Amino acid sequence: MVRKFNRRSFLRSAGLAAAGSVLAACAPAAVQPQVPSQAPSTQTAAPKEATPTQASSTQTAAPKEATPTIAPATSAEGIALQYWVAWSGDYVKAWDQMQKTDEYKEIMGNNVLTVKGSMYAEAFLPALAAGNPPDLGGNGFYYLDYMARGVLQPIDDLVAISKIVKKEDFIPGNWESSFYKGAQYGVPANECFERDALVYNSSMVEKAGLDPKTPPVTWAEVLDWHKKLTKFDSAGNLTQIGLDPYDSIGGSMNPIDGFFAGESWGFTYFDQATSKFDLDNDKMANIFDTYAEFYKVVGPDKMAGMRSVEGQGTWGGSYFAAVQAMVIDGYWHCQWTEQAKPEVAKVSVYTWAPVTEARRGVKMQYPGGHLICLFKDSKHHTEAFKVAEFLQTKSACDILFDLRGFLPARPAYLKTVDKYTFPGLDFFFNSLDEATEWEKMVPCVIADFVQNQFNTLGESVYRGNMDSKAAVAQMQKACTEEWQKTGLA
Amino acid sequence: MSSTIPGLKRPGMSLLDWRREAMGYLFASPWLIGFLMFTIYPLAASLYYSLTRYDLLRPPVWTGLANYQEIFTTDTTFRLVMSNTLFWVGLSAPLGVISAFLMAFMLNTRIVARSLFRSIFFFPSIVPVVVTAMVWQFLLNVQYGAINASLQALRLPVIPFLSSPVWVKPSLILIQIWAQGTAMVIFLATLQDVPRSLYEAATVDGANEVQKLLNITIPMCSPVILFNLVMAFIAGFQYFTLPWLLTQGGPNRASEFIAVYLYRNAFLFLNMGKASALAWVLFVVIITFTFLLFKGSGRFVFYSGESS
Repeated sequence: MVRKFNRRSFLRSAGLAAAGSVLAACAPAAVQPQVPSQAPSTQTAAPKEATPTQASSTQTAAPKEATPTIAPATSAEGIALQYWVAWSGDYVKAWDQMQKTDEYKEIMGNNVLTVKGSMYAEAFLPALAAGNPPDLGGNGFYYLDYMARGVLQPIDDLVAISKIVKKEDFIPGNWESSFYKGAQYGVPANECFERDALVYNSSMVEKAGLDPKTPPVTWAEVLDWHKKLTKFDSAGNLTQIGLDPYDSIGGSMNPIDGFFAGESWGFTYFDQATSKFDLDNDKMANIFDTYAEFYKVVGPDKMAGMRSVEGQGTWGGSYFAAVQAMVIDGYWHCQWTEQAKPEVAKVSVYTWAPVTEARRGVKMQYPGGHLICLFKDSKHHTEAFKVAEFLQTKSACDILFDLRGFLPARPAYLKTVDKYTFPGLDFFFNSLDEATEWEKMVPCVIADFVQNQFNTLGESVYRGNMDSKAAVAQMQKACTEEWQKTGLA
Repeated sequence: MSSTIPGLKRPGMSLLDWRREAMGYLFASPWLIGFLMFTIYPLAASLYYSLTRYDLLRPPVWTGLANYQEIFTTDTTFRLVMSNTLFWVGLSAPLGVISAFLMAFMLNTRIVARSLFRSIFFFPSIVPVVVTAMVWQFLLNVQYGAINASLQALRLPVIPFLSSPVWVKPSLILIQIWAQGTAMVIFLATLQDVPRSLYEAATVDGANEVQKLLNITIPMCSPVILFNLVMAFIAGFQYFTLPWLLTQGGPNRASEFIAVYLYRNAFLFLNMGKASALAWVLFVVIITFTFLLFKGSGRFVFYSGESS
């Protein structure tokens, strides 16, 4: 009997085929054959170093930027590497240029690097939970948080054999920030230079009847300037503010940018040795009270409204828009202002960040910055580490400086940079020698939670909903409890 | 037992019957597999994670009901976000449904360019949420927004729509009412199904327009009103995107709703265990509200097919 292929048969076959396709799609991916990794370089282990001092004029004794000897790539087919960062726009564009340089080709060989921008914690966390992280990551997460939770790959062995990544070539504070409990988990790269400066628009200062050549040194003096620089129209609407202390670096409370207020007031809020928070103290309460004074002059709703303007809610945006006369920000502010508003950059003056009266005369600086890290669950650690090495080369640093104003934590490279490239950049270069106090990173591994508490409770204080003493007590309690819950305490 | 396992041959079942049943399940299998993988599995996983300490970076550690205990006893922020959410749902859902009904009622009348107006009123509901946020951020902006710029030009004080704890929720409600196009279309379809004979009979009896609205239109639309109200409540409890884009839960946590708090715990505080617990608490709250709404609907919902 001849079987007819009728409609019923067709439907049956199509259904079976669809179900089979779905089941096949659910099967795990076949393991790709490993291409041979690049030949290990014939590099000797770096000699042990003496304990370094903080970045200072001993930089003049730093070795010249040596031409690194890089083992040539040997693999015929390259490895595809994924590098995720939170930066986007110009940073990703910079990689288009960097990948065309001779150093890149020499170091990376046939390996193909894909740089994905705008990748934040929401992207990193699921990838890590799924056991499928990118090969490298930078920005987009707090490095200490991930170090403490064991998702980053220790790279001591890779650093030991590297001819490019050497401890003595980095600013000590930045180098130390890549360590957690004795192991190294990242290499300072991309953006790692100083964070602390008071920046003011001299033109606005002059119009307010203040002397731009005599900048404020203490918080009381800054508050006085703030009162004179904050302006309203005839209907009481805000037209200009002096300073929002919570804006930019002023409000930071994370290991990358430092706890600026704590540095200014001269205390550390977390002690890794005792594993305890120290937030319930008079200095912390004074921080909330002092910052609140600035908000009382403006009005909390008006300050929040100023912040909500498109662009002005972004980091330092109000300053670029010339509706804010002062800001506390880092070295990148020089290039960003030049790019956003050259006319504002021309009249910008950079000086030492304010301190309390008791600390008058202290010239503080924080060597913060970013790392580039490898993830434990990624497969190509040796190849991925070469990206970290490439980022230390002159061509990579030059491109990042030109396009983003980023500087590395490499004194030898910094000597090659014209410190007058952007208005104000010379302040940061000079502070390498002139700073009297170098702040240290606070090793807190619940950075986002603490930052949220700082912002939330600070707002409760400046809106008059809470007394500063109650705020710091609550902050101490909340942070301690959160820290206990992590299982890392 | 074997009689309840799908696809398994049961006593008394012919080969043909079995083949038909098996074929049915086979054709439904793509959906079934998807349902199991993308709905049931995540539900079960989140229930498990809610009983653990889990930060997505390390394996989950069993803590039992500790997350729930924290939420209901020591977490003061939970009380704040829950009260924000109940305020939001209590106002935005009914106001949204009322505005959608009124828009549909007006668009059901004979006016010139009725189709054009229907499209205009429906358009906001198809605008992506991010675009909506940017548009309203521009309109409500305290410095340069269209509304406040006009006030400034008249030398009047500006209104801090999104930067005042007092104004932020009413502003979000305003945006919500603006985007009621979907509910409006559903009401429009229902209004067109109301039998004309009822209106004619009411006219004969001397009823005015308001009496017709209250005694005919609304009762006949009551099942759809209930449906839209239930959907509005469910969406209201899960409200996240606009407050996150516009205010990030501020100012002063006045727009920190439970979904925002849940997100913050999951991805910023590395506390997925607590976030999962919050999700399940939210689920129970939504189920409870929905149940109470259906339970109480008997008094005001008229189903035309029911016998009196």
